[in-house]
Amino acid sequence: NVNEIRSGFTAIKANIQARDPIRTVSILSHPHSLHKIKSSDKCCIIHQLFNFYMDRVFKHCTTEDSYINRKISSIANSFLSIKRKLVQCHNQNDCKCGQESMEKFKQILTNYEGLNVTSAAIKSLGELDILLDWMEKSR
Amino acid sequence: GELYCPLPNPRNVHFESINMKNVLHWSAPEGTGDGVLYKVKYSVYGVGKWIKKLECSNISRTWCDLSNETSDYEEQYYASVKAFLHGMCSDWMETTRFNPLTETKIDPPMVSVSSTEKSISIILTAPAKWKRSPEGESISLAQVYPGLQYNVSVLNKKTKKRWWFSVSNDTLVVPWLEPGTAYCVSAQIHVTTPFLNSGFSKEYCIATLKDKTA
Repeated sequence: NVNEIRSGFTAIKANIQARDPIRTVSILSHPHSLHKIKSSDKCCIIHQLFNFYMDRVFKHCTTEDSYINRKISSIANSFLSIKRKLVQCHNQNDCKCGQESMEKFKQILTNYEGLNVTSAAIKSLGELDILLDWMEKSR
Repeated sequence: GELYCPLPNPRNVHFESINMKNVLHWSAPEGTGDGVLYKVKYSVYGVGKWIKKLECSNISRTWCDLSNETSDYEEQYYASVKAFLHGMCSDWMETTRFNPLTETKIDPPMVSVSSTEKSISIILTAPAKWKRSPEGESISLAQVYPGLQYNVSVLNKKTKKRWWFSVSNDTLVVPWLEPGTAYCVSAQIHVTTPFLNSGFSKEYCIATLKDKTA
């Protein structure tokens, strides 16, 4: 599924990022970089981020381009199937959410809420490679 | 204050990256001929402060090495170019968002081979990430991409039979070969995610030793 997300995103990356003119704000990578998250917190952050993308990103990313919309919904479906596996892993494993990781996730929500919903959702979608790069690196 | 900027814009402003040596390239504005000078600036995505690249101020060439400024591959970047001619200027023309980790091209691996009577040993070395200076620490791209693998082809020059191997570590021993026979080896780097492939290395040929008992 992660490969499917990656190839789906690669197909729409230039289009989606071109719709995001705001260079001075990142949802995922500033002020806190995902790459600085402790490994013990990763399970919780991945879980939170998948919920974030399902609940607050994909549903606000409709465009006028049906090809782009199809790609977005296929990415969302891949997210959904990964999310189901994460729930099992979340239940079976010690997927504790430490205070530090919750602070980081709160910052992500603050970044998101600092923009109007559509801009924030498009920006978050345009940052999918930041999430994927971090997930794959920490695999 | 800003100059009057009716000059046509630089075109096709983009990064070309090999082993994370990240060089900004562009084409001259249409119909401007000689004498055009350029300025370059760059920014880290999410930080957004534009920073002038001083070594690329008032240059006439159409490229600028930003490897130093874009060496943190956990960040993403924008760069921008402005043209000047006879006191006039163009608009700033930007790249798309540049992600060094997923957009660099990877050179083929280095391959060294040795042989015994019935086997060939192959040592594979991934290229190093671009570094600021020769004395700087060398970081292999195998460290940058945990999912890095090697696709290896071994050709029996006599029978033209070819085998393919996909290995994650950097050594491969191919057993059960014919003594006194020439074999040619070529290898490619394959990163599963993000999906990146190098080209194939040139062929390295070696002969297995002759069978002493024959």
